[in-house]
Amino acid sequence: MNSQHNTASIYVAVLGLITFVLGAADVLVWAGLTGGMDFGIMQIAGDDFFRWAWGGLVVAFAGILMIRGSRNIGEIPQYSEALLGAILVWMVAGCDIFAMICENIPAGEEAPEFLNSIGGFIGGFAPPYAPAVILLPFTLALLYFYYVWGFAEE
Amino acid sequence: MALTEDQRWELVDAIVAATVNTGKRKHTVGDALGELTVKPLTGIPVAVAVLYAFWSIFSSFAGSLVTDGFMVKFFDNHWLPWLQTIWPDPSSIHYFLFVGDPLADNCFEAFGVLTSGLFVSIGVVLPAVLIFYFMMALLEDSGYLPRLAVLLDSLLHKIGLHGYAIVPTILGLGCNVPAVTATRILETKKQRFMMMTLIAIFIPCGAQIGIMLEVIPESVGIVMLFLIIGYFLFGYILNKIVPGESPEILIDVPPYHIPERRNIQKKLLMRVRGFIFNAMPFVLLGVLLVNILYLGGVIQWLSDVMAPLFVTWFGVPKETAGPLVAAFLRKDLAVAQLSNIAMTPYQMISAVVLISIYFPCVATFVVMLKEGWKELLVAVATLFCVAFIYGGMIHGIGILLGVA
Repeated sequence: MNSQHNTASIYVAVLGLITFVLGAADVLVWAGLTGGMDFGIMQIAGDDFFRWAWGGLVVAFAGILMIRGSRNIGEIPQYSEALLGAILVWMVAGCDIFAMICENIPAGEEAPEFLNSIGGFIGGFAPPYAPAVILLPFTLALLYFYYVWGFAEE
Repeated sequence: MALTEDQRWELVDAIVAATVNTGKRKHTVGDALGELTVKPLTGIPVAVAVLYAFWSIFSSFAGSLVTDGFMVKFFDNHWLPWLQTIWPDPSSIHYFLFVGDPLADNCFEAFGVLTSGLFVSIGVVLPAVLIFYFMMALLEDSGYLPRLAVLLDSLLHKIGLHGYAIVPTILGLGCNVPAVTATRILETKKQRFMMMTLIAIFIPCGAQIGIMLEVIPESVGIVMLFLIIGYFLFGYILNKIVPGESPEILIDVPPYHIPERRNIQKKLLMRVRGFIFNAMPFVLLGVLLVNILYLGGVIQWLSDVMAPLFVTWFGVPKETAGPLVAAFLRKDLAVAQLSNIAMTPYQMISAVVLISIYFPCVATFVVMLKEGWKELLVAVATLFCVAFIYGGMIHGIGILLGVA
């Protein structure tokens, strides 16, 4: 294994651990272990079973897959497992972003017009964000590895 | 002499070894991802994630964007006031039938053919069905659905079905009508009968789910849990008592690929058109018929007759008789009607589960009839028994938990 793979292994293992902890935190906050949590631009509200218990479970699974795939990440089976973990994070984050888009296109309930203003639409994307959205850019590294390690050409 | 199943497989292996030359092929990331999604250890988390994404996109698009964002505003602030202004004589029968309650300030509660009927069919159900079938087509064409079938094969074998039973089951979550037709992909009469019965009883259609998300968003999870438990519990029992075979099948798993836009478009158009012409007229007809039954005092009479069963055995108010009659025409309509009856949260959950399990809507009933009248009669008898037993069990669970 070359040093590039070593660094990537460490990066994916750490990212997997953080992902697992944040996914577990989603579930635990929903279960009422603590109240809602805020860390800067990140928020775990825990007020909805579907988003925080089910979605949190998916994020936790993603973390486990990334940790499992981080060993010998230069090999296709291992890399694929880590990539699958990243795909799960993309799914949850993608759903969060899609939900924000859907909520911000219409004007508010009380407003007489149907469509939101451009300012109102953009304002709807302001922080705080759920953990999966914060994790999203960091997981894109797996896509980078896909191209630089030549998996795309195979 | 007939060969046994093992001998046939050995023969297949021998023929393949003698005739097929595979050569060398490099294992790609795509292949590895395909394998990971059928192995239980990694495939189950992926299935959990796919279902999460499916329902998240479903509720964001149908709920937040189309229904809450535009349709509620259009129907409540523009359509209803306009109809109430232009329709003559609010005390007349035709006003009651077509516009509904003259004092209503939203289309959910007005209950006229042109108010609640149109709002439910166009404002709530159509966007739900549209996004459901879009997501379903994506899953089919990307190659994920056969993998889900492989993953669930051993679980579904425990209730006498096989992995591909997941196709009619998921289709049923959109509309039970194509789902009943899709039971033809199962091999034996026993499997087709069981699948048809389980769909009719335990699979709520997209329209009903859409309305549930509007009326009882906080309880949809519990209702679905009761239905899933019932699906497997009564599936297991049916497998034991229904005679017939449950054979193994071979599933062809294609590689993952990006779905083609034209295929998705075609599937979506075909299914949505089918829904508009097969199911939507029943929503409007349903409102009209229920209003006529109300006017004729039939609903009140049914409520009084059924009161002992409803109150004592099912633990729900006797007024739920009306929605149960409407449920035969459209289940979504019946759930919408429940929102106007005073109930505790658990009674609401029981009533919604009861509406789901007690009888298929008339459109499904007609398709089941096409599949064979004998099967339909047995299925109806089965579902009355199941509704009686399971409805009572849910009430019993509520009493034990102290919430009924």
